[in-house]
Amino acid sequence: MEVLTEIGSLILRVYILRALWTALYAQNAAPLNLPLHSMITYATVAMLMSLILEVDGTRLIREKLREGTIAADLMKPISVPLYFFSDGAGQTLLHALLVVPSLLFALLLVRIDVPSPAVFAAFLLALAVGYGVNFFLNFLMNCVAFWTLETFAAQLIVRWVSDLLSGQIIPLTLFPGVLGRIVFALPFAAIYSTPLLIYVGVIPSSQWAASIGAQLAWLALFAVLSVLVWRAASSRIVIQGG
Amino acid sequence: MWFVFTIVYHGVALGALYVTMRQFPSMNGWDFREMFFLYALWMAGHELHNTLFFTVVSVPEYVREGRFDRFLVRPLDALFQMLTVPQQIVPDGLILAIATLAAATVAANVRVDWIFVIFVPLVIAGGALIDLGISLAVATCSFWFIRIDTLRWVVMSLEQDFTRYPISIYTRGVRIVLAFILPFAFMNYFPATFFLQKAETGLHLSPAVGLLTPAIGLAWLGAAYAFWLVGLHHYQGTGS
Repeated sequence: MEVLTEIGSLILRVYILRALWTALYAQNAAPLNLPLHSMITYATVAMLMSLILEVDGTRLIREKLREGTIAADLMKPISVPLYFFSDGAGQTLLHALLVVPSLLFALLLVRIDVPSPAVFAAFLLALAVGYGVNFFLNFLMNCVAFWTLETFAAQLIVRWVSDLLSGQIIPLTLFPGVLGRIVFALPFAAIYSTPLLIYVGVIPSSQWAASIGAQLAWLALFAVLSVLVWRAASSRIVIQGG
Repeated sequence: MWFVFTIVYHGVALGALYVTMRQFPSMNGWDFREMFFLYALWMAGHELHNTLFFTVVSVPEYVREGRFDRFLVRPLDALFQMLTVPQQIVPDGLILAIATLAAATVAANVRVDWIFVIFVPLVIAGGALIDLGISLAVATCSFWFIRIDTLRWVVMSLEQDFTRYPISIYTRGVRIVLAFILPFAFMNYFPATFFLQKAETGLHLSPAVGLLTPAIGLAWLGAAYAFWLVGLHHYQGTGS
């Protein structure tokens, strides 16, 4: 039931994106580096990626904090962040299975460009790094609950802002002038934009190293921040009854 | 906090629309200002629904926890009791929506005459009723399926997607569905076409059908209520 609803909604959204971009390209001059077929490929692949990237793997932190059961986890001889990561990765794999049927249904509605093996490999690598950045972003947001106990609203806000600024809804190349430079400089671009722009060929192979390097820099920064926040958090834990 | 929440939710949608339409200034003959008005009209109906009728959304929760059953033994209509569950009404979303609609009216140069003054509140009320019908239909599904959180979320986001653009961008079958079966187009597309004095190019109807929104809202809510009664008849409780 849940799975059917999710796949059904994805199909409808693929239909909407096809209608939207077809109408826009029919009446306006196309941007130079993104013809219609690239735009539809971009939007469809972004939607498939969201199946994986919208899983909040560390939601467990928030729940365990609210229920107080995190105290028991902290006493166990395990690395608790690693435990959360494994749990998240498991949920992600489950959702990754949904990508296959979703892709097959989507192909009934739209045609997706098939990249060369080298491009696809670079895309997968960038996607993996983007997954890491997204994971740590969620981790940091959930750790805020150590101080505030509830973060649901704040997290939804960050999610929506990140949908726009990461290039999930529209390619960041559409942002004009200074705004464009700003969104590319933000960490959100590492999540969706870099892998997708590699996929559709806007980032040429000569710039792969630089783009993935920038992603890795964000990944490293977020990882270090997560370690620091986790240390601070676990030393000041308050259990609210449970 | 929830005020920020509402601002960001609509801000992201409008921001994406603005950036897209800088690059692509025309969407089937609609420019950004007109699209802004289209969005603001939907937003007003939607936020009015969220302000007054939000308890309907909690029906599945009541069903799951067995709290719904107490409505059934009282001699009052169950839906009426659900709608009147004591709650704090926070009209901040509605205030924001009205401010947005005012800004969009100015931006899109809509002529404010007596028809506008009379019909805009009616259209907003009709839009809220259409929204209530949708919520009610989704809530009714919980009589069979108990857990419908995903369905609720999906319907909400699809409603926002399908009301954001003129229906003329869709294929004919979908236009007909949006006009007559799930009447989202009456929440904003038809009324906006009328107030903006545009030609209706989706189904080639007279733009004046946009003034029928309140009637469509009542009819659609009636249909949803009939479905609700069928569900209620079927309802067996969850034993909790």
